[in-house]
Amino acid sequence: MTAQTEWEEIERLFHEVVDLPAEQRQALLACARAPVRAEVESLLKTEDEATFVERPVRLAADLLESQPGGLSAGERVGEYTIDSLMTVGGMGEVYLARNRSGLRVVLKILRRHLVLSPQAIDRFQTEARAASALHDPNIVTVYESGDSAAGLFLAMEWVEGPTFRQLIAAGPAQFADACAWGQQAASALAAAHAAGILHRDIKPENILLRKDGVVKILDFGLARLAGPVRIDPDARGASGTISGTLSGTLLYMSPEILRGETASSASDVFSLGTLLYELWTGRHPFAGETPLDVFEAIECRAVAAPSALRAGIAEEIDGLILRMLDRDPAVRPTASEAGALFSRFSTRT
Amino acid sequence: MDPQGEVTSLLVAWGKGDQSALNELMPLVYNELHRMARRAWSGQDQAHTLQPTALINEAYLKLTGAENASFQNRGHFFAVACTAMRQILVNHARSHLAGKRGSGRVHVSLDDVQPAVHQEAAEVVALHDALERLQAVDERKSKVIEMRYFGGLSIEETAEALGVSIITVNRDWRLARTWLMREMNGEQS
Repeated sequence: MTAQTEWEEIERLFHEVVDLPAEQRQALLACARAPVRAEVESLLKTEDEATFVERPVRLAADLLESQPGGLSAGERVGEYTIDSLMTVGGMGEVYLARNRSGLRVVLKILRRHLVLSPQAIDRFQTEARAASALHDPNIVTVYESGDSAAGLFLAMEWVEGPTFRQLIAAGPAQFADACAWGQQAASALAAAHAAGILHRDIKPENILLRKDGVVKILDFGLARLAGPVRIDPDARGASGTISGTLSGTLLYMSPEILRGETASSASDVFSLGTLLYELWTGRHPFAGETPLDVFEAIECRAVAAPSALRAGIAEEIDGLILRMLDRDPAVRPTASEAGALFSRFSTRT
Repeated sequence: MDPQGEVTSLLVAWGKGDQSALNELMPLVYNELHRMARRAWSGQDQAHTLQPTALINEAYLKLTGAENASFQNRGHFFAVACTAMRQILVNHARSHLAGKRGSGRVHVSLDDVQPAVHQEAAEVVALHDALERLQAVDERKSKVIEMRYFGGLSIEETAEALGVSIITVNRDWRLARTWLMREMNGEQS
């Protein structure tokens, strides 16, 4: 009797008896050779007692974070005074703060020691300038960017209101609201695209609805610092690298970006189409159990017309959202076309 | 040869049974995953994005290039990437535990947070050690646990990567995790 065949016997017996009631288990176990029986009984004891949670490893962020850092309330960054920490990102933190006159601002800080390539700092600066050049009622205003002991910082408008993630979670939106919000978001994108700026990370977490009903898109032109995928020829060679992480944004990523191609304004339109689909129907067009499922859905799964999921959605809206989600970027409407259609439609209803 | 072509041809060679290809492949995959893990896990605003699977998918895209992607290669890649991910997590857990012993209590205010992290690190190391013992008994079952636990793969993805049926993975998973729990609880009969 080799250890191998004994292990096979143990395995066979374990699976045979594990789902049986106690008395039937006993009958089968009684027939087994003593060492096999002892091992299986020991395993069954564990199996019966254990409440094993099936989960992939969930490591706390701290495990890989050697320098937690962080600013406390009352500390100064430039002319701003920190109130509280809002979120921690890959290369820094976001704080709620106040300017000299006591006005609330949101302060983003890029920590130099967390920045992996010098290009990231250049990009932060270039794009901070680009973002502060954008003046649109539906885009969060950037007041100032600068340098401080804590790192590079960006001060921007503080918007009080839910994110689109929260709105979507609250259930499918009223048609009139969904139209108005879609129009505002599309026209904000159109304004940015006209200025030559791509968002690159449109997702429900990046769009806010201010309490007075005004839609505000966040993180314009800064998105790639937060880490969406982008082909970026850098110092390591002409082949380009994909920087950042797929994880948070996969659900709103266009097929061309998943294929590793460069983002275009049509990629932003696709991402907006995805979240509008969710807003109108309550369902994500590419939902999947695992990232692989989502990946395959974005690449190949047919998208059901929104009206098939929720009665009463007009044909024009159906057609518009499906065109925004077309796999061929050339077929998608521009953000300005999308905005115009929403606006025509909302004045007609 | 560009890095993407290199990884793809190593995957193909390994798939054909060339074991030395694996030796060349592992450091490439390890380094890429490590670089991405550092960035992704150095603090994220959403806990649900801390998924090893997403990193592995990204590494696959980056290292092979989507246009070279075949389902067969992907299975092979996932097998390598889960081992690399295990190593990354175990190394970090070990250095965390070592640092904890060495540094003493500097930040009293962090004590509320640290025990959970500390426990998780200890759990990762204990599982790794138990998994090495399981590998000596049954290598495939240890791979199943490695992929499910350290790589975050689903039952289906694990079956695809190992080239076995879903039923087999389910059975392996059930027996192996029972075996490991017993090992880790120190309840050897």
